[in-house]
Amino acid sequence: MGIFETLKKYKWMVPLISNADRDIKRILLKNVRYKKKNFFPEVDVKADVKNLINCMLCPNMCRFDCGSLQAAQKESMAPAYKARIGYYLTMGLIDPTDPANKEFINLMYMCSNEENCKIFCPFEFSVVSLLETVRDDINDMGLMPDYLKPMIDNLHKTETIEDHNIYKTYKEKGIKNIETDGNDEVFYYIGCESMKFPEVVKANIEILNKAGVKFSTNLEKKMCCSGPMFNIRDLETGKKFAQKNKELIESTGAKIVVSDCPGCVLTLTNSYENVGVKIKTPIIHIVEYFKKLLEEGKLKPEKTIQDDLKKVTIHDPCLIARNLKDTTSIRAILNKIPGLELVEPICNKENTHCCGWSGTLHWADKEIAIKEASNRVNELKETGAEVFISACPLCELGLGYGVQKEEKEKIKILDISELLLKVI
Amino acid sequence: MDFKDFELIYKTNRCEIKDKQKIKLKLSEAVGKKNVSDDDIDILAYTKDATLITLNWSIQGIIAGLPDFITYPETPEQISKILKLANEEKIPVIPYAEGSGVVGGAIPVYGGIIVDMKKFNKILKISDKNLTVTVETGINGMNLERYLNAKGYTSGHIPQSLYTSSVGGYIAHRAAGQFSTKYGKIEDIVLGIEIVLPKGDIIEFKTMAAASTGPQLEKMFIGNEGTLGIVTKATLKIWPYPEKRALLSYAFPTIEDSLEACRNILRKQIYPAVVRIYDDKETKRHFGKVKENVMVVFVCEGNEKLVDLEETVTRKVCIENKGVDCGIEPVEHWFESRFRVKETSMFPPYKMVADTIEVAIMWDKAAELYYKVIEETSKVKGNLLISAHISHFYPNGVGYYFTFGGVPPKDKSDFDFYKECWDVTVKTVLDIGGSFGHHHGVGINRAHWMAREWGKSFETMKEIKKLLDPNNILNPGKIYESIWKEQGGVS
Repeated sequence: MGIFETLKKYKWMVPLISNADRDIKRILLKNVRYKKKNFFPEVDVKADVKNLINCMLCPNMCRFDCGSLQAAQKESMAPAYKARIGYYLTMGLIDPTDPANKEFINLMYMCSNEENCKIFCPFEFSVVSLLETVRDDINDMGLMPDYLKPMIDNLHKTETIEDHNIYKTYKEKGIKNIETDGNDEVFYYIGCESMKFPEVVKANIEILNKAGVKFSTNLEKKMCCSGPMFNIRDLETGKKFAQKNKELIESTGAKIVVSDCPGCVLTLTNSYENVGVKIKTPIIHIVEYFKKLLEEGKLKPEKTIQDDLKKVTIHDPCLIARNLKDTTSIRAILNKIPGLELVEPICNKENTHCCGWSGTLHWADKEIAIKEASNRVNELKETGAEVFISACPLCELGLGYGVQKEEKEKIKILDISELLLKVI
Repeated sequence: MDFKDFELIYKTNRCEIKDKQKIKLKLSEAVGKKNVSDDDIDILAYTKDATLITLNWSIQGIIAGLPDFITYPETPEQISKILKLANEEKIPVIPYAEGSGVVGGAIPVYGGIIVDMKKFNKILKISDKNLTVTVETGINGMNLERYLNAKGYTSGHIPQSLYTSSVGGYIAHRAAGQFSTKYGKIEDIVLGIEIVLPKGDIIEFKTMAAASTGPQLEKMFIGNEGTLGIVTKATLKIWPYPEKRALLSYAFPTIEDSLEACRNILRKQIYPAVVRIYDDKETKRHFGKVKENVMVVFVCEGNEKLVDLEETVTRKVCIENKGVDCGIEPVEHWFESRFRVKETSMFPPYKMVADTIEVAIMWDKAAELYYKVIEETSKVKGNLLISAHISHFYPNGVGYYFTFGGVPPKDKSDFDFYKECWDVTVKTVLDIGGSFGHHHGVGINRAHWMAREWGKSFETMKEIKKLLDPNNILNPGKIYESIWKEQGGVS
């Protein structure tokens, strides 16, 4: 809300204040003047104190849709409580340097970044956007939780967050690498997590081939987009990889970058821009690109889908539905598949629920992340479909954790590309 | 973390637990190790509910109450075991679900064991034929309503706290939703309950549309605020999702005109789901400049033909009572803004103290109550704002929602100022013959007025409490005890 709107909204208070007794007016004016002194830290901090206060004093209007709270079922996971603790850590009401308060620091990482809180927030922010600012101060004090540090070390050593460079495993996984000749139409930017699902990567490559697209994958030079660094808030490492990725992307001469990971898309665009690295090449998620290829007639779904894959439901990845604001591409592709029956879950599109595997929650408390995943699996099962379609490697990973052992055979979690490939 | 660094408001008569390790072990035996915590991070989370003064305290690093243990039971049998242990050890037990109460009902004023009901979150059954839903009571209101909507129904119980409250909380505090003129309050909606009594017995009142089998004992547990038992399961009425919705608004010159219009609408047996009258201050606050002073919004919903009829009659009666048609925009504005609560965050950083107090009155004194409360509460030194809307309507009376806000004068703490505003309002309501609470319950804030509200029947109520809970372990410090009075400063 701009200053004009704020003044307009609170205009009704003017006569109330002007009619007050002089001593009360004086107290009120003093309270206004000393607001910062009373309730803001004396030293400069990175924490967004103003909005931490807004959040901690809110009656928790987003709590019903907070995936981590719904998974943990503990008041200590409530969004406003996280903000309250963030505020206390910032103000020193809880001493962040006291080892006994480690769990309070840990709470600042207990979020799966799903950001549906933002939909219901009267102030229109997401809780994680506040927690990240608290994490910045935690890092400056050298108090980053130990379980996050291996990710940074790995990135420096292997250029991915794994203990080995996962891209170099392409040969053993049967993935065809295409190095750029500097004149590509498309750079198919494969996410680290996607490399854990070689069938998805292979399907994407085959679909691009079938559509006659000239593209490269550059797996010999490929590295992580450094998305996790922006969650952990090691922005220096994040920026270093932003530069490297920018150089790699520009070296391909590609007119467009398409990625199979929405986390990569958001990192290469929004996160990089936040640290001053702008990549001019358009970067989109692969579902948007496939939708375009279908519309242009370059992909023609002609075969009828096999019986065991006929009834499907969609798991909209948070990052595509809410952050990239695209809920139409997945559906446009599915609607072109002959014979497919699509059953929508209750919480879908921009109201989708998280798979548990975005953000830092799955590192901070894997058990809660798995519970969040299993909550989402239960919602998808409610549709009666046993085939879950998604378009994000993190979701496939998370949902996989959420499926009970005895259901592993029955429930299929597929990337949309795997389904599309079967009918073109 | 050391909690001694935090000032504690409710610190007298705290329960003494000599061997905390022993109790923790016994609680673990009752509910499983993973369902018990005395970790600082959990303890701090249950030191307040949504009572507005606790927000002023929160930002100052002050806590209202301090529990000793948090438990997360999953079955009524586990709750039963906790209660049996609590009786043996004389430790208070405080039920907690979404923590949205605004009268201190979930604050552990003497310490003790919190029973967090969040794991009771299942929707067990929808019966289309009977039009009922059976749920575990820890379920969040919005998560239930969203599910019902997807299946083609509504619970009809849509309070402003929908996103942040639970079915158990509604039942405990005898809540009302904003659509209550059509669908009723929670006591009209609940058809059957399962409850764990203070000594650990689990009893069930079967679901029935109507019966004549002795007194309606189950009603005694609706509004018990966790003092007579913990409701674990409930069967509620549901309705087919309305096929049509009509939005109307009229502005009136005075409160009296608007009240007369609404009274006559209901007298004609027309029940819009939503009826809300805003006084001149709230009209300006919510709707900007309106030529007439008092805005009234209506929502009629349900069967198409019935909605058409309700709309026609409502319009006619409004016009007959000097109402001026303001179109659908004010109602759309209400729909868009009703869950976007910013005010609770805005005032505490300026050390301003605010709250809302909902009360009930019969039609014959409805206008008088408004003017009298405004007059009396305006006299409280430091109070800058006193306004009201009338949010719940019945053929025989209404529910008011007063808002106060101000800054404590130099010689008063925020808590004393808060208590004074509450007490002046409540006393005025009781003097006129109204009820001090319409849908938020008694909790701590109004417990010291119970003897006046109930008269001699309060003694009977106390006897019942003593009979069911001889050790006074279930949510002590609420309803039957006057903690504010004990701490001084209250009439």
